[in-house]
Amino acid sequence: MFKDRTLPDLVTSAEAAVVSSEPTALEAEVVALFDQLQDRLLRYLLSTGMTAPDGEEIVQEVFLALFRHLQLGRSRRNLRAWVFQVAHNLAIKHSIAKRRDRQNLVDSDAGPSEEEFVDRAPNPEDQLTRNQRQLHLQRILKALPEQDQRCLSLRAEGLTYREIAGILDMSLGAVAISLGRSVARFVRAEER
Amino acid sequence: MSSKDSHLSDQELLLAADGELPPAQAGQAASHLAECWTCRVRKGEIEEAIRDFVHAYRGSLDPLLPSPAGPRALLKARLAENASVSNGSRRKWFQFPGLRYAGAIVLGAVLALLIHFRPAFQSRQALHIVPVSFPEPSLTPGAILAVNRDQICVAKRPKNRIVPASLQRQVFEEYGIPGAEPRAYEVDYLITPALGGAEDIRNLWPQSYSSAVWNARVKDALEDRLHDLVCDGELDLSTAQQDISADWIAAYKKYFHTDKPLEP
Repeated sequence: MFKDRTLPDLVTSAEAAVVSSEPTALEAEVVALFDQLQDRLLRYLLSTGMTAPDGEEIVQEVFLALFRHLQLGRSRRNLRAWVFQVAHNLAIKHSIAKRRDRQNLVDSDAGPSEEEFVDRAPNPEDQLTRNQRQLHLQRILKALPEQDQRCLSLRAEGLTYREIAGILDMSLGAVAISLGRSVARFVRAEER
Repeated sequence: MSSKDSHLSDQELLLAADGELPPAQAGQAASHLAECWTCRVRKGEIEEAIRDFVHAYRGSLDPLLPSPAGPRALLKARLAENASVSNGSRRKWFQFPGLRYAGAIVLGAVLALLIHFRPAFQSRQALHIVPVSFPEPSLTPGAILAVNRDQICVAKRPKNRIVPASLQRQVFEEYGIPGAEPRAYEVDYLITPALGGAEDIRNLWPQSYSSAVWNARVKDALEDRLHDLVCDGELDLSTAQQDISADWIAAYKKYFHTDKPLEP
């Protein structure tokens, strides 16, 4: 029987059997968009502070939602912005759920979460190899208001001001002001 | 845009660099930059800062990205599974000749019943009421405005703005009930504007009044309760938003300390 050798271990045998069947044009279209956008989308989710496994799961959900969206014959206008918008909304829901989980843990006096035990400081070897300037800029980025960080990340992922305004539910002017403010901070950091 | 003698502002330089200036202004900015060294240097500084930011941004995040092959294969598997489930459920019926005949007999019987009870059928179809008690997360994830407690507590228990009819129709269409009877539903905000919810299709869903227990009136009571708690300083706004958007029925039980809706 045909076996797709490119399948990684994380795909179950049942899933592999399904994969071996001929994909429809719609599936192929969604996979092509996934190839084009997955890194950018995941990077954006990670920039919101999400962990990589959670981000990957959300990216999967986004493209499954896109498949259903197209299957129902809904609008194909600017699918790139649509994908980022759905990812952004799912990220908000995810962060709300996480906050609630943390709150429940605090309420039940269960002690700090596993996440809080993780030592996020780079090890000495990494520390040596990391560029100090990059660390400085990352600190500036983290110090920006959340909405400014989102604008900046989306812009870094190639979205236009209008697309960012739609995704973050802001006015076009507010996006321009937010980006201007953030870039000004980076320029000031360069000047020092 | 700044006057001819003055320099371009950083904001204008950034908009120009991003190709976001309107065409007329973009032309003026390009002419100014061609003749003004000061602005060209400043534009270079801005672009250098952007370049350094992008390096820092990608430098910190790119190492966390997985190899694309695994997630891609997983998505293909899930898509194929999705497609086979929907195709399968559509095809099964017609794959067996016996079922085709049985189907024809059942269809005939249904038609006969419909002709017999035509008046009753017509009135029910005209109403087209489908009980909806829960928002569909993929259609209604919730959307909020950037407002704080002081802004939402200006009015005591403000009434929700009526959702425009065109937006209501879009919501019904999204939920697959385009012919819905509007009086039977409240096109409701998942997160009420009284708690900072936005008038946005992502925050709207058709909640039916006809749902026996958990209906629109019960949710209205919860909205009032949460607004009061937030404005009395007993609950923070983000918790109220997250509770009502995650599961409004659970939130009702939590904030009214009851398992079933209280009598109005």
